[in-house]
Amino acid sequence: IKIIVIGKWRLGVGKSCLLLQFTDKRFQPVHDLTIGVEFGARMITIDGKQIKLQIWDTAGQESFRSITRSYYRGAAGALLVYDITRRDTFNHLTTWLEDARQHSNSNMVIMLIGNKSDLESRREVKKEEGEAFAREHGLIFMETSAKTASNVEEAFINTAKEIYEKIQEGVFDINNEANGIKIGPQHAATNATLAGSQGGQQAGGGCC
Amino acid sequence: MDGHKEFYDQYAQSQEKSVVNKMQQKYWKTKQTLIKVTGKKEDEHVVASDADLDAKLELFHSIQRTCMELLKAIELYQKRICFLSQEENELGKFLRSQGSQDKTRAGKMMQATGKALCFSSQQRLALRTPLSRLYQEVETFRYRAISDTWLTVNRMEQYRTEYRGALLWMKDVSQELDPDLFKQMEKFRKVQAQVRHAKLNFDKLKTDVCQKVDLLGASRCNLLSHVLTTYQTTKLVCTCLCYI
Ligand SMILES: Nc1nc2c(ncn2[C@@H]2O[C@H](COP(=O)(O)OP(=O)(O)OP(=O)(O)O)[C@@H](O)[C@H]2O)c(=O)[nH]1
Ligand SMILES: [Mg+2]
Repeated sequence: IKIIVIGKWRLGVGKSCLLLQFTDKRFQPVHDLTIGVEFGARMITIDGKQIKLQIWDTAGQESFRSITRSYYRGAAGALLVYDITRRDTFNHLTTWLEDARQHSNSNMVIMLIGNKSDLESRREVKKEEGEAFAREHGLIFMETSAKTASNVEEAFINTAKEIYEKIQEGVFDINNEANGIKIGPQHAATNATLAGSQGGQQAGGGCC
Repeated sequence: MDGHKEFYDQYAQSQEKSVVNKMQQKYWKTKQTLIKVTGKKEDEHVVASDADLDAKLELFHSIQRTCMELLKAIELYQKRICFLSQEENELGKFLRSQGSQDKTRAGKMMQATGKALCFSSQQRLALRTPLSRLYQEVETFRYRAISDTWLTVNRMEQYRTEYRGALLWMKDVSQELDPDLFKQMEKFRKVQAQVRHAKLNFDKLKTDVCQKVDLLGASRCNLLSHVLTTYQTTKLVCTCLCYI
């Protein structure tokens, strides 16, 4: 399953940190600007089936925006990330959402992530606002902290689950690789790759 | 993931010197140069990300332009002052000679006015000293500070073209990208290293340019307020004396 992590530009909202926490269970306090895209992968089990999530962590800086657009293609899910301590990252969500919807598969599962929930004292965006935005646009919503690892597993796994359900319902055509889903070699197990790319302040979702 | 990244980065660096890489780099740089000179539309997001820099460049060009205009204006002003002073002097002399022939009270007044006019014409010429100082200072400013900044701007533009070229290249290789295919990833890492390198260079020059332009603006203000004070004092003295 390919999942992409996207997010608004300017100083990081924590996309790369989320990925690192999910794949390596580490936190990196220094901001290391992503150039274009980085990749991560992890195996998870859903419903007794082994699924490989392939995550694309996109660059959030504005100059990479046109480049990140090409990464939406073939993603089954997207994590759209903003930073709860900076309102401007939340205000840009609509543009990113439009971008994501326009350049991706229409069935792509999008999860809205409010990151840095550990910085409660510096919070600028209320949890209710995130929830309201997600409801309005039909997204799943979660607040995470890449620092304390709170909800990070859940964010990726829930996205994968959502995609998995869509596959079961037959919404995704698993024989079409453009959906970001590849069947593994063993006939019994589904090998799914979740690719997430993170760009700026939005994180993209995943597919399996 | 990090281990891989390091491996790829090292690999990309060793590849950097390879001829093929250099050729491709040149190709994308040339392509960007072409886009620029032909005025073709550039990537709006890339352009937008340089907005602060472009605003500074705008300021720089305005400093450059207005300095030129100021020099021209001073030159013209100097000429006019000379003319005016000459005319004034002539008129003064004329009034004095006419007044000396006229024995009435009107003759006395004519003589006095003529004297005042001659005096004022001298004072007017005194303005030329602070003005030519202003001219020299602005001229030096133009030769030293402006041309120095101009060099930095040019270097920055070179790096900008390189960076945008590298971005074009990255966009190109991003069209087809599958992290599971080694060949594609190898290529992508190579380009990524290139973009990172070009971005580093460009960002540094970008900061340099912004700082230099700010400094340039501040030092011009300083220079003007300094030199103009002398001018203003002389002008005041001149005006006062004329009215006495
Ligand atoms: N306190 C706190 N800091 C975080 C969290 N997540 C990320 N950060 C910090 O935020 C900064 C940016 O994180 P990155 O993950 O590099 O940001 P990014 O979104 O990948 O940025 P780009 O690659 O430029 O798009 C880093 O200095 C992190 O240490 C979090 O959950 N809590
Ligand atoms: Mg990043």
